[in-house]
Amino acid sequence: MKRLLLDASLLFLLALLPSSLFAANIPEIVIPLPLTGQQGKFGEMMKRSYQMAAEEINAKGGIKKQKLVLSFEDSGAKPETARAIVEKLIDSKKQPIIVGEYTSACAKAVAAVAEERKTPYLIVASADDAITRQNYKYVFRQNAVNAHYADGVISFLSQVVKPKTIAILYESSAFGTSGAEAMVKDAEKLGIKVLLKERYESGSIDFKPILSKVKAARPDLIYMVSYVMDASLLMKQIKELRIDAKLFAGGAAGFAIPEFIDNAKDAAEYVISATLWTQQLKYPGAKEYAEKYNAKYKDYPSYHGASAYSAIYVVKDALERAKDYSPEKIRDALKTTNISTAFGPIKFENKEGYQNQNFMDTLVFQVQKGEFETIWPQQYASKKYIYPIPTWRERR
Amino acid sequence: MKKIAPTLIVAAIAVLPLLGLSTYILHVLILTIMWSVIGMAWNLLGGFCGQVSFGHAAFFGVGAYTSGILYNKFGISAWWGMPASIGVVAVFALFIGFITLRLRGPFFALGTLAVGVILRVTAENLPDVTEGNLGIMIRERSWVDKTWYFYIILTLAVLVFLLVKKVVGSRLGYYFVAIREDQDAAESLGINTTYYKTIALCLSAVITGLAGAFYTNYMGYIDPKVVFALHDISIVVIMVVMVGGVATFWGPVVGSAIMVLLAELIRSIPMLGAAHLTFFGVLLIVIIIFLPNGIIGDIPKLKRLLGIRKNL
Repeated sequence: MKRLLLDASLLFLLALLPSSLFAANIPEIVIPLPLTGQQGKFGEMMKRSYQMAAEEINAKGGIKKQKLVLSFEDSGAKPETARAIVEKLIDSKKQPIIVGEYTSACAKAVAAVAEERKTPYLIVASADDAITRQNYKYVFRQNAVNAHYADGVISFLSQVVKPKTIAILYESSAFGTSGAEAMVKDAEKLGIKVLLKERYESGSIDFKPILSKVKAARPDLIYMVSYVMDASLLMKQIKELRIDAKLFAGGAAGFAIPEFIDNAKDAAEYVISATLWTQQLKYPGAKEYAEKYNAKYKDYPSYHGASAYSAIYVVKDALERAKDYSPEKIRDALKTTNISTAFGPIKFENKEGYQNQNFMDTLVFQVQKGEFETIWPQQYASKKYIYPIPTWRERR
Repeated sequence: MKKIAPTLIVAAIAVLPLLGLSTYILHVLILTIMWSVIGMAWNLLGGFCGQVSFGHAAFFGVGAYTSGILYNKFGISAWWGMPASIGVVAVFALFIGFITLRLRGPFFALGTLAVGVILRVTAENLPDVTEGNLGIMIRERSWVDKTWYFYIILTLAVLVFLLVKKVVGSRLGYYFVAIREDQDAAESLGINTTYYKTIALCLSAVITGLAGAFYTNYMGYIDPKVVFALHDISIVVIMVVMVGGVATFWGPVVGSAIMVLLAELIRSIPMLGAAHLTFFGVLLIVIIIFLPNGIIGDIPKLKRLLGIRKNL
């Protein structure tokens, strides 16, 4: 009997699970993103940006006179959880469009579900190339693919720095690996010799073993693909070891968010990094967004935030153009998106083997006097680049 | 009553997909059942045989990658990974057991912990075989509908449950318990402890590997960080068993209900936001402090606490 009691209570627990809550005319949009764990920083910035965009839209009368309601669910950067959230959204809440997630592993899990269930999914900041190469019809990506992240850096290198040798350090993740692979290919094209290509465990604290290898190899350029803490630690330890190179370059992500400068302090000076967006861009709303974000949270957002912020406008645009709020119609509307946002012009194209991919110019910024300054391509530059950079010894 | 209770429960669970539940609930249920399978596997080694492993992600991952590599390199259905993983994981477990089972107590735990991490790093560094960090993606999963996945994992769970029951009730089970209670005494009674520990490890590993192969088929994407995860797999499985009840038959089932179902319930409370982890963590601490033998292991105590005393 006691067994039965227990099992009965178990079943009761199941019955408690929320099935369908409520369905308004304009659907509430729930966004899965990592709010806890290593990627929490990025998740938080994106959450704030989504909310800012929704508030602005609602202040201006909402979408077709209806309020846009956003809420968030924490996936903890776990693919199973991300999938659980999305299954719930599609099935129980009948949400006709999915937006969000951050890590590539989660985005892949979500994309597969979205495609199977024929619900459009707008990817905001997951960069792994493979996601939009699966012939998916319902998956759209607003940020550039990893293979193109460094395009700006490459053109800067080939026109200004002209390095002969390069050392590549990258974290062991899908993002780090594909970023490093892309750089190797680009370097070969430019005739730059890859002296070293070293992977490290993401979340490491001590980089001295690999950095001493780098020091011994004496490359002209050190290129690093890292998430947040690793990026600042790498630069700090490079400074401690007095490793001089012609230039230090980062591949977006960890190098492109304000925490990088906050943590690395003066070691961050003169570092360049690829980025998809900076607040100095002359896109309509870019500066306003950055200032507003700074006023509210005392920090400037990176491209992750800008992409999230603009994604809500893309959704608004699609919802306004869609004939009704069915996934099919919203997908058709997304497919013909052609708008200008704070993140730049957005339209989804099929080319280079990608489907529904937004292609954009990638930029280069340099840390100058503790601020991110856009330096390349020249038409976007806010300050002139500083090159050659002083050696560590000269900096004191 | 006691005899037919398990059958009743299985029957009750088996009709669940017919009730037209949403895929979300089915997804959570599938994960719960999958975790109870892994929990039962761990329990066989850790609970009954007393060899606490901190590296079950290794077996899970090897199973998952067997499936993934068959699909990715040989172009056959990833479902073949389930039978194939039995052999692969068994051989692998023999090899690991050969090394680690000479260690005792905390040293065995540390050894297995290392195995899990070593495998993750290995998988990351063999891009020709495993695709490295980019992971293996199954282009098209077999079914959009979840019913089949549900029945496959449920069948596996029932089989594993019966197997564990059978093994524990047999001579083998008594050897396991003897080894857990006192390895030296067991040895002096003529039990070849290393041999029986290896059997326990292999059984446990194979079951975990099957769950891993199922995971590949079900989720359609694996990478080393996901399937060889220390926190998200090796530690969670220990929690599943600890919370549910070590060395009990129903412990892993209840444990996985708590670790997956309840965690998901708490996570989706909208007010909590990112604090859900804190909340869940506190809950686990409370369970472990007040019910050190797990929920099933401490049922009498639980009854006393709740005031449901059995009339003697």
